Amino acid sequence: MNNLLLKQHETLSKFRIISLYFATALVIFSLLGIFSKGLNLGLDFTGGYLTEFTTEESLTQQNMEALLSSYLPDSFSLKSAENGRHWSVQQADNELSLKGKVWLSDFSEQSALTIIPLDSIYIGSQVGDELINQGGLALITSVIMILLYLSFRFEWRLAAGSVIALCHDVIIVLGIFAWFDIPFDLTIVASLLAIIGYSLNDSIIVGDKIREMMKRNNQQSVESMVNLAIKATIVRTLITSGTTLATILAVWIFAGESLAGFAMALFSGVLVGTFSSIIISATVPQLLGLSVEHYNPAEQELCSLP
Amino acid sequence: MMNSRYTKPVNKVKWQNIVIIFVLLFMLISALPNLYSDKLTVHLTSKNAQSEPIAAQDINRLLVKHKLAIDEIRASAAGTAITLANSADQAAIEKLLTEQFSANYTIDSSIENNAPAWLKVFHGEPIKLGLDLSGGVLFVLDVDTERALFDKLQGIALDIKSLAIADRIRLSNVSQPNNHSITLSFSATKYNTVAQLLTKITQSYPELTQSKISNSQVTLAYSAAEQAKFRQETMSQTLKTMRGRIEELGITEAVTQKQGKNRIRIELPGVHDPEEAKRIIGATASLDFYQLAQHSNAVGILQMRDKSGRQLRMNSQVVFSGSHIKNARSGQDEMGMPLVNLTLDAVGGKKMSMFSKQNIGKPMVTVFSEFYRNANDEMVKKSKVINVATIQQHLGSQFSITNMSSPQEAQELALLLRAGSLTAPVTIVQQRSIEATLGVDNIDNGIKALTIGIGITLVFMFIWYRSLGLIANAALGLNLISLLGLMSLLPGTVLTLPGIAGLVLTVGMAVDTNVLIFERIKEELKRGRKVLFAIESGYKNAFSTILDANITTMITGIILYAIGYGAVKGFAIILCLGILTSMFTGVFVSKALTNLVIRENKSQLLGVKL
Repeated sequence: MNNLLLKQHETLSKFRIISLYFATALVIFSLLGIFSKGLNLGLDFTGGYLTEFTTEESLTQQNMEALLSSYLPDSFSLKSAENGRHWSVQQADNELSLKGKVWLSDFSEQSALTIIPLDSIYIGSQVGDELINQGGLALITSVIMILLYLSFRFEWRLAAGSVIALCHDVIIVLGIFAWFDIPFDLTIVASLLAIIGYSLNDSIIVGDKIREMMKRNNQQSVESMVNLAIKATIVRTLITSGTTLATILAVWIFAGESLAGFAMALFSGVLVGTFSSIIISATVPQLLGLSVEHYNPAEQELCSLP
Repeated sequence: MMNSRYTKPVNKVKWQNIVIIFVLLFMLISALPNLYSDKLTVHLTSKNAQSEPIAAQDINRLLVKHKLAIDEIRASAAGTAITLANSADQAAIEKLLTEQFSANYTIDSSIENNAPAWLKVFHGEPIKLGLDLSGGVLFVLDVDTERALFDKLQGIALDIKSLAIADRIRLSNVSQPNNHSITLSFSATKYNTVAQLLTKITQSYPELTQSKISNSQVTLAYSAAEQAKFRQETMSQTLKTMRGRIEELGITEAVTQKQGKNRIRIELPGVHDPEEAKRIIGATASLDFYQLAQHSNAVGILQMRDKSGRQLRMNSQVVFSGSHIKNARSGQDEMGMPLVNLTLDAVGGKKMSMFSKQNIGKPMVTVFSEFYRNANDEMVKKSKVINVATIQQHLGSQFSITNMSSPQEAQELALLLRAGSLTAPVTIVQQRSIEATLGVDNIDNGIKALTIGIGITLVFMFIWYRSLGLIANAALGLNLISLLGLMSLLPGTVLTLPGIAGLVLTVGMAVDTNVLIFERIKEELKRGRKVLFAIESGYKNAFSTILDANITTMITGIILYAIGYGAVKGFAIILCLGILTSMFTGVFVSKALTNLVIRENKSQLLGVKL
């Protein structure tokens, strides 16, 4: 029995190390995408005009583009959904586009289509630049705050493990957005912060278990203790990730076009977050030289717990 | 527990449980108004007693013909009440009814909540919906405080020039090297006389800091602190003006708030046409009254042409400005010409009284200024002379501006003056108009996603944990009620589309608390602990882990709340509140439920044989 357990521990360790290489490769691949292709920044960041409307008639993209080009003075990008009934037109923020301000009402009067306007957005280009700064600032502040909190609450090696894990999650999600050319808007920044929260949640629970086992200190190696901690928390991690992923999937499928990108970011974030909490956040402290001694002086603290 | 007076041998009622029940009841009552909605009712009341009420069938036929949906029609002797299914149809239905029945009936509408009477006693309010759910118009304005500062200094510079002329001091140059300072140049021999002028300037403008560059140059500047103070004052004044203007437009549910350093965010729910609102909100009108200059060659003079092209020379100093106007109403004079009647505040009244007493028989010029963007996207101030009137008598705080070109112009000027004038030019940097139908769709989709997400979670928890899963499910339901209740209670919380996503996400993550506890209990049971002891220590030991995990999520939520606006802020609020309620229901409520349900005589718990 004991032997069998030990053997399992070793496989888990091997799995962890191999996965760590895999994670590193993924991060490099994502960074490659972010820096070579760049993010497809949405209207929130670039500024411009976006008009959404529906038509009762179903049209092909080419037809609609031909119809619109006579009404819009400047170049525009057109996207359709729901079998050519839901349309969104994006124009740049410049003088030319401004002249075509009331084009939709002209268009609906003069074309034979039944047009129902849904949403029209104008965002000045200077707003976008500020948002990029603000979003980046928010991400960095939250990482620093969390690092501080974790260092105060845990040993610094465990804290570093969690923070590296969350950087891994954010970079991979950004990489997915870069490689697949998905529009990156303000709600995605919100979802990135939610992913940070979620990823930490997972990492902390594994870290908590490691700490608990170290405090109990039953003469085992750090490696087997980490493996035991992962095994003890894996059921919880999978259940919580499972229900969270299921609810996000519900949002993705049913909550409509405007939340699709948001749900996609959350879905991929929770998925890699679960992976990284098992692989990275527990393995990195071990590599950084976490040892049982780091928790020995804390033994008195154990008694003070209620 | 030990010293509780309520302790009974069989059914223990602890004070904690009473608090929990009380809190949950309170949340339930707060959340209930969300089930009911505000319904718009259009009333048709007959103008004279003879005419009979219109039959419900007639109205229904008429509305069905125009594809307008309604909830109910109630016809009685007093009149007919039509409850609308969709408040977005209000304008269309009112128009239709006015066409048909306005000869004999008066048509008006009111908003009523269809909640039962007992619930209305608590004065609960449903959660406020963000623009993406309710439909409406959003503006984000950029306030150019730098320009306002520059203008203010320009005024001061003109004033210094006229002061110098009055004291017969020759200044070779007065320039504005940047937007927060003025440089005075003069010949070095005149330094002593200039020093007198400088003391005078300090007296009238104590906020300016003087620094001597050389014997022939002095700089007057706003210090960094004064600049910051000026910007802040400009922002709060602009904010106040905007609120006044929106009030004048008759929009009651508007949200007007500062966004970042020099932005103002205005949300106008229910507004359909952004153009009218835009014209009033975006206007930077101000009104100034000037005296015609006495000496035609003097410096410190403003030159302007009136409508007929006549060159006017005015003293640069404003007699008084639009900020002293307390009230403005448009009207007509005896000849039927449009005019604007003004009432000034105490300070303005005193200024006007002083000025008019000394200047009877002399002309006064009214100048209307407006900022707009030119083709090169630069902010340009356009001023025009509205009228030149001779002061006939000693004026007080009430007088009128005549010579308006049309009644509409008079009305708009009165509105702008009433709502307050702006000293800083504003530009719309972001605008969004969301149709109400899109909002309704968004709500429907959101609720669908929420229902399915909850459904999956509930089924899974029951299958995995059986009896304890039911407790977790009950806790989840109570969590949702508490979250909705809390959101209805707290002012300033708004439900947006990403907020609904946050709600769904919270549901998925809320089970985490229970899963952590149950896994812990399982562990304790496997170690051979007794059921009740295992439950007790499971809850106790899992708590520090739950706290750690939730605090970090809370940190990211708070940061998101602090930097985000609009829809993103809505998401952050739900994330933070969801953590609070899920800890409350997941730990305390489910503990109470577990104690209630689980007894010692279980043969199996959580798949662990006992």
